[in-house]
Amino acid sequence: MARAAPKSPKPATLPESSITQPGLVPIEKNGEPSAASRFRIFIVDSGWNSAARRVLHENFALIRDLQREDPIYVLSRERSIEFMRRHGSRIGRDPIIAVHDMQALEKGGTAGFHGFRLSLGLLHTPEQALLGLQAFARFLVTHRNSADLEADIRAGLRREGLTGAIEIVMQHEAREIGM
Amino acid sequence: MLDRFGEAISVVLGALALAYLVYEIDRRKRRLRDLFHVLGSEEADISGELLSMVESGELQPYSREARA
Repeated sequence: MARAAPKSPKPATLPESSITQPGLVPIEKNGEPSAASRFRIFIVDSGWNSAARRVLHENFALIRDLQREDPIYVLSRERSIEFMRRHGSRIGRDPIIAVHDMQALEKGGTAGFHGFRLSLGLLHTPEQALLGLQAFARFLVTHRNSADLEADIRAGLRREGLTGAIEIVMQHEAREIGM
Repeated sequence: MLDRFGEAISVVLGALALAYLVYEIDRRKRRLRDLFHVLGSEEADISGELLSMVESGELQPYSREARA
């Protein structure tokens, strides 16, 4: 179970407070987001002392390098806490990585499909969190040019459901034969 | 008599196994949905909030230079 940190340690690679100040250096052209970015990535992290938070902080630079076409917005701890207070059902699920699909947003606004999110805080071990983060980064990179992102995600979730069913049956069979 | 009883037990056990399978698949689907899912109309208010933070300039994109 994740415990609340009495005082949030200074993150090693995710300098949250510095990046929400106005007047920052504009994003550079080479390897950084352009106007044509497909995604906008938001990180909401209120600072729970959790494995997921540590994994995110330790791998943030790599995520940034993998997603250099898209802007990443990191909410400060204070702003994240305010955010969680307004949306209480999300408490304990953070760090949350929300990705807006700008193509979908331009078409239909926020009323319909407009992106996807990963509630990394629900993964309790460092291994699970790292695997989740890696799968998420892979998904972003491989679906950047997807014509129908929503269909891709829903198909993926259905596939996961089927894989899960097979897994359950296999586990049951393995138990039956005493493996 | 014994055959019938055996059959009935088999049917009950089969039904229980099927029910467990359905329950487990549903549980995993819900867990996966909690973990990773699409943003739709349910999250419209949250997304709108994030968008307005960007549009108002409250949120600036991360850049390496800003860290330095």
